[in-house]
Amino acid sequence: MEQTRAGEYDAFVAARWSVLFHLARLLTGGDRHRAEDLLQESLVKLWFVWPKVADEAPEAYVRKVLARAAARSARRRWWGERPVEELPEVAAAGDMSAAVAERSRLEAALARLPPRQRAAVVLRYYQDLPDRQVAETLGCPVGTARSHAARGVARLRELLADVIEPVG
Amino acid sequence: MERGVQGEGMEHGVRGDGGDRVFADGPPTRSGASDRPDVFESRLAELMHASREPARFGPRHREALRAGVRARRRARAARRAAGSVLAVAGLGLGLFLWPHGQTDDRPSAPGPRPAVSPAPDPSGPPSSTPTGPPTAPETTSTVLPDAPTVTTSDPPTGTASSTAGDDGPSPTATASETWTAPPPTDTADPSDTPSSVISATG
Repeated sequence: MEQTRAGEYDAFVAARWSVLFHLARLLTGGDRHRAEDLLQESLVKLWFVWPKVADEAPEAYVRKVLARAAARSARRRWWGERPVEELPEVAAAGDMSAAVAERSRLEAALARLPPRQRAAVVLRYYQDLPDRQVAETLGCPVGTARSHAARGVARLRELLADVIEPVG
Repeated sequence: MERGVQGEGMEHGVRGDGGDRVFADGPPTRSGASDRPDVFESRLAELMHASREPARFGPRHREALRAGVRARRRARAARRAAGSVLAVAGLGLGLFLWPHGQTDDRPSAPGPRPAVSPAPDPSGPPSSTPTGPPTAPETTSTVLPDAPTVTTSDPPTGTASSTAGDDGPSPTATASETWTAPPPTDTADPSDTPSSVISATG
């Protein structure tokens, strides 16, 4: 029984690790180590509820734990994020590819958002969740989740204005 | 509120001019009146997906996960043990503080009942019993005082009859014979005779 449980759990984690890790990374504003810690913590919690959620939606459970922990983490100042006036310099074109540069800018911009706004934006635009599910995941009213997402996007518009170019 | 926020965002986000602007008509969002995301939002979503770099779940992650599970299991066990210890300690303390002498803390006898209640029955015997003993001493006391008076009054006649016994039987002699029962007083003290005589005559 325990073996079966462990096998299923391992299979799930191995299959979804990449996606979940990217989600954690976006939720932490690109902090790789913090993202790993957060994901580990969420997956450990998943292990103890695996018999209950295995047949339903284990990924939704992990997403909820991740998002809530990320939204809380800034209040605890776990990774000591320090807001700065100017975004870090964009790397030169020869240093890294354009995709990496874009990703770096995106993560830097996300890191400047308040954690709840960041979580709402990520859940809505990366996970493509409707407002209701964003609210449920964050454990707040729908209006609050909508407000967080809107404010976060508005802020990202400022920060990423030169990255997301106007289209013709 | 959301529109205001987006309007604010539009001010900062709009670039270029005319129809080429990204948010020419304002940024319709999925949560707004229109569910159609604007270009910025579409691009943002695309960028978020594109920025994903492949990550493999390796042995290092597996080990860390196992260690985390073990640590959490230990923490749970410790919490459970601490809870049990606290519960036992609380129970022990409660038992320790529980009063041992039950008679001390036992509530006293039921409160006084109303006079009309069946209380008279239990109160009857106590009232009669106190009166009983006094009556018994009274009988003895009446006997005792009477006895001296009789003995003191009669011996004179007894002595008189005994002294006059030689002369012959007299009505007083027959009477003295019936009273010969307490003769000890008679022989006891001759000095009492004068007083007894006086009392008899008196």
